[in-house]
This record gives sequence, C-alpha cells and structure tokens, in this order.
Amino acid sequence: MEIVVCVKPVPDAETRLRTAADGSTLDIEAVKFVLTGYDESAVEQALLLKEANPGSKVHVVSAGPPPRTEEVLRASLALGCDLATWVEMPPGVAPDPVSAARALARAVAAVPHELVLCGKNAGDDEAGVVAGALAELLGVPDYSAVLDLRWDAAASRLRFQRSTEAGVEKWEAPLPCVVALQQAWNDPRTAKLPAILKSRRLPIAKVPPEAAIPATGTTRPTKFELPPPRTGAKLIEFKTPEEAAQKLVKVLKEDAKVFP
Amino acid sequence: MTGPTLVVGELHDGALSDATKEAVSVAQSVSGKENVVGFLAGSSPRGPAAGFGRCGVARALVAEDPRLDGVAGAVVAHLVASAADSLGAELVLVGGSTFGRDLIARLGIRWNAAVATGVTSLTRTGASFEVRRPVFGGRATETRQLEGAHAAVALRPHASAAPPDSPGEVALTPVPLDGVPASFWAAKRLSVEVVSRGAGPSLTDASIIVSGGRGVRAAENFRLIDELAASLGGAVGASRAVTDAGWRPESYQVGQTGKQVSPQLYVAVGISGAVQHLMGMISSRVIVAINSDSTAPIFKVADYGIVGDLFQVVPALTQEVKRARGQ
Repeated sequence: MEIVVCVKPVPDAETRLRTAADGSTLDIEAVKFVLTGYDESAVEQALLLKEANPGSKVHVVSAGPPPRTEEVLRASLALGCDLATWVEMPPGVAPDPVSAARALARAVAAVPHELVLCGKNAGDDEAGVVAGALAELLGVPDYSAVLDLRWDAAASRLRFQRSTEAGVEKWEAPLPCVVALQQAWNDPRTAKLPAILKSRRLPIAKVPPEAAIPATGTTRPTKFELPPPRTGAKLIEFKTPEEAAQKLVKVLKEDAKVFP
Repeated sequence: MTGPTLVVGELHDGALSDATKEAVSVAQSVSGKENVVGFLAGSSPRGPAAGFGRCGVARALVAEDPRLDGVAGAVVAHLVASAADSLGAELVLVGGSTFGRDLIARLGIRWNAAVATGVTSLTRTGASFEVRRPVFGGRATETRQLEGAHAAVALRPHASAAPPDSPGEVALTPVPLDGVPASFWAAKRLSVEVVSRGAGPSLTDASIIVSGGRGVRAAENFRLIDELAASLGGAVGASRAVTDAGWRPESYQVGQTGKQVSPQLYVAVGISGAVQHLMGMISSRVIVAINSDSTAPIFKVADYGIVGDLFQVVPALTQEVKRARGQ
C-alpha cells in the first residue's frame, strides 16, 4: 500500500506560552517544535500498516518554514518512514489550516498515495481542518476520529472504527481516501539513536509552495491572549467529610453559581 | 458580505442536537432572525427539521435519501456547498461536533470559505467576521479575522445557549442530490455501538462532568464517581491512568489524547493533574479538585479544592448534592 502521512511541527507540550510583541500570535522565540500528539500516532499507524502489509511504503509530507519543518520530517524518517517531502515556506509564514492543506495537496498529488493519514488535529491550533480540506482537494472521501484502522487485503477494504458523539461506529471503505487518526494500535514508538543519526543524512525532497497562497491564508490572526494566571484552588476547610460536602455545595451554589 | 446564514443540522436521538440549536442561536444574533435558513440531510429529515421552526427558523432545506444515514461527511459537505451557493449565503454555521468540524473543513475548499472550528464567539466586524477560539488545549485564546466573501464556522459545544422552544412553523424545500462524486458514496457505516454511559448526558455534551483518576484505585470503586455524577445530572469522565488500567473504556478518557471538554463544572476526583489531562479540561468554567495529596498539580488549576480522602468525601458529597436537589 502506498501510504502518505502528513505531519505538522507543533510547540512542545511543555512550552511556556507567551504572546508575541505584536499581540496577534504566539511568541515562538526559543520554542521547541516537535512531532507530537495525534501526528505521532498517525506516523505510528502508518508504520504499523506498512509492517502488516509487506511491500508498502510510507511517505511523510509536511508544509512549513525552516528549520522546524525539516526537523519533524527527519524525526519521522528516524522512526521508519521511507521517503520525505517538504513544502518549504519562507520563514515567518504561518499558514492557516486551509492554506496548509493547499500546500500539502500539491505535494501529495505528485506522489503515489492510496491512503493519506493525518492526525485528528494539531496540538497548537486544534483546528482539525487539514484532513478534510486535503481530501476535498484530492477529490477523495475522508474519515475522521478513526481508531483500530486495518487493511483487509482480501476484500480490498479499509476497516476501522470512529469515535464520534453517536458512540463507536464501525466502518469499511475502499481506497483511496484520507483518514484523520484519533489513535494508533499502540503508543507511538521512539526512534533509536542509530536511526536518528542515519536520518540526518537521508534525502528530503523539496517542493515550493504555490505563490498564490497568502501568508496566513484567508483567516488572519489578530489577537493571542493568555488567561490570567490561575491563583490556585480556594481550599475548603473542614473537620468532617459532611462539613466539606456542605461547604462545597454552598460555594458552588452561591459563589460559582454552577450548582444544577 | 451579505446574504443569509445557513445552519446545518445534526440529529441526536432522532431530533435536532443541542449543538445545532446553539448554532441557530448564534446565527440569529449575527444575521438577524429572518436571515437564518436551516439545512438537514438524512433518510427522513422532514420530521426532525420541524425542530428548526421551534427555534424560530422559518425556512429550511432538506436533502432526503435513504443512503444519507451513516454516509461519509464528504457527501453532506457537497450538498451544503451547493445549497449555500444557490441561496447566496455568506455564512455556514454548524454545531461543535465531529460532523461539524468535518463539514467546515470541506467548505474551506469546496465553497472557498474562510473557516474556523471550535469557535466560542462569533461577531460581525464590518464586512467580515471575527472569531475567538481556545487553542493549545485551552491554555490560550486566539482571535481571527475571517476574510473573503464566504465564512464557514463550527462552534464549540456550549458556546451559546439554545433558543427557547416556541411554537413555530418552518417551510421545507427539498434540495437535489446530484453532483456528489460516486466514490464519496462508497464507504459504509456498518454499525454504531452507543457507548454505555448510563442515563446521563454524553461527555462532550455535558454541562457537568465528574472524572475519576488513579486515586480511585480499582474499577469497582468507580461507582463512587458514577453516583456523584448521577446526583449532579452530569457525565462521567476518567484520566488516562484509569482507561489504561482498563477500569473504564477509552471513550471515558478526558485529556490531550482523549476528549476535550469545556463544561460549566468539572469535578476532578483522585486526579493528580498531569499536563496530558489538563489539556482536555482546562477550559472548563469552574474546576473542583478532590485529592488527598495537597501538592497535586490539579490544585493549581482548580477553583475549589478539598484536600481529603475521596472515599470519605465523595459519598458525603453525593448525599449532600441529593439533599440540596431534593432527590
């Protein structure tokens, strides 16, 4: 199976968030960008499908500025992806999800792609838009919130579950398609040192982005706000559990006004 | 931008979902009541589409076909894009759900719209729209300007209150099903297993959530969490430690890799407050923590805390809640 997996460099979960000087975006000075969250699961699932279906290839694709985009591509190669393509955007460009999908689509369309895997959403903007927009550009269906993704070679069908508001749905679908992954079969693997060293020398194909895509797309960030620091819980003092319960119900009713 | 706003409906237990009603409410406030048009696709959408009338929507489009139940979202997106074009709509609004997000993503291309998902506030600014949405697991909020002639927005659950139910009629107009690529119909939803969650609301819909963590110690003790949630009329959640241990299925997990929730009240019981978990619930309006370890990080983000033995405090709290609610 020809598998393409799309990844995005995202600030490390431990990043201390700060607003940039112009007030409109995250200050990325000194922020470490990593392959993370659902994207990490998407890479893991791509590799698991490759291992379960001999003859498959995994091609990792990312769109964004240097150096972070190259770094997540190398991290994916170190994990076992076979090929990498970078849609190289100028430094400082922060495409909105639809623009990112347009950039990715050019690269994906140019390589063999039967199954395109994306993470359900990125941990920074949490838009969850790229998979659907990419599928529309490629002219194929997409399935979101997917888990337990398997390829039934005999029936030539993908079989998977989707975790939606309705419950857990069981699906089957033919290729080609785009899948936005909620969870891989297991926790993402970590790369071994020799593989990391080797990945530094592996080739990465570069594709220029379409010139017509505006720097931020059709949505422009105007403000990035951090909540006032939480001052810590107001602790309830009590001598008996009953007293604790009474006092909590009272503050939820009278102060917080959230008692049902 | 000018033109009507199209609200795309979704069903829950055979009726318009709360998320859909919330979207109607937001549409009415940004476009005016008379400029809101409903849309519903399904095998028999006419009955539930009457729900638009009870929200004060006078007109709705319906796509009716037995194949539309459990169809890939791509099909509905194409029908919505055609409907939005023929209406001359400026805005498509949908509730905060998996369905809504998928739909909006497609419209970004198919309808050439500026798109935003997980939106908590939508306002008109001159000729375009401005949205506010939590990012980084609720650790920050961004404001974005949506540019261009079309905007497509998926709300976050509970971003707005549903309009009050009132008697009202909606005129239904059928829309054609042509123009959808054949391959989009090829996937099949084989079954839906409704995740058992007792009588309470679902995790993502609930305005009150009680979650249990490692401190609950064993699967059989989780009934303490169930009982407190039931007394409050809320949903039950769990930390990753609990779902990893198999005390509860994955569907209960709140966190970065589980469900992201933003209820009015979140009660964390025996949960230490790892970043992984915080990223799923930090945007809750009021957070209560119950934990025996006073140094647990959850107390840093909670509004109210009880440092105590959950096995004593939780049953007492359940009793007190029942008493206060006259149960």
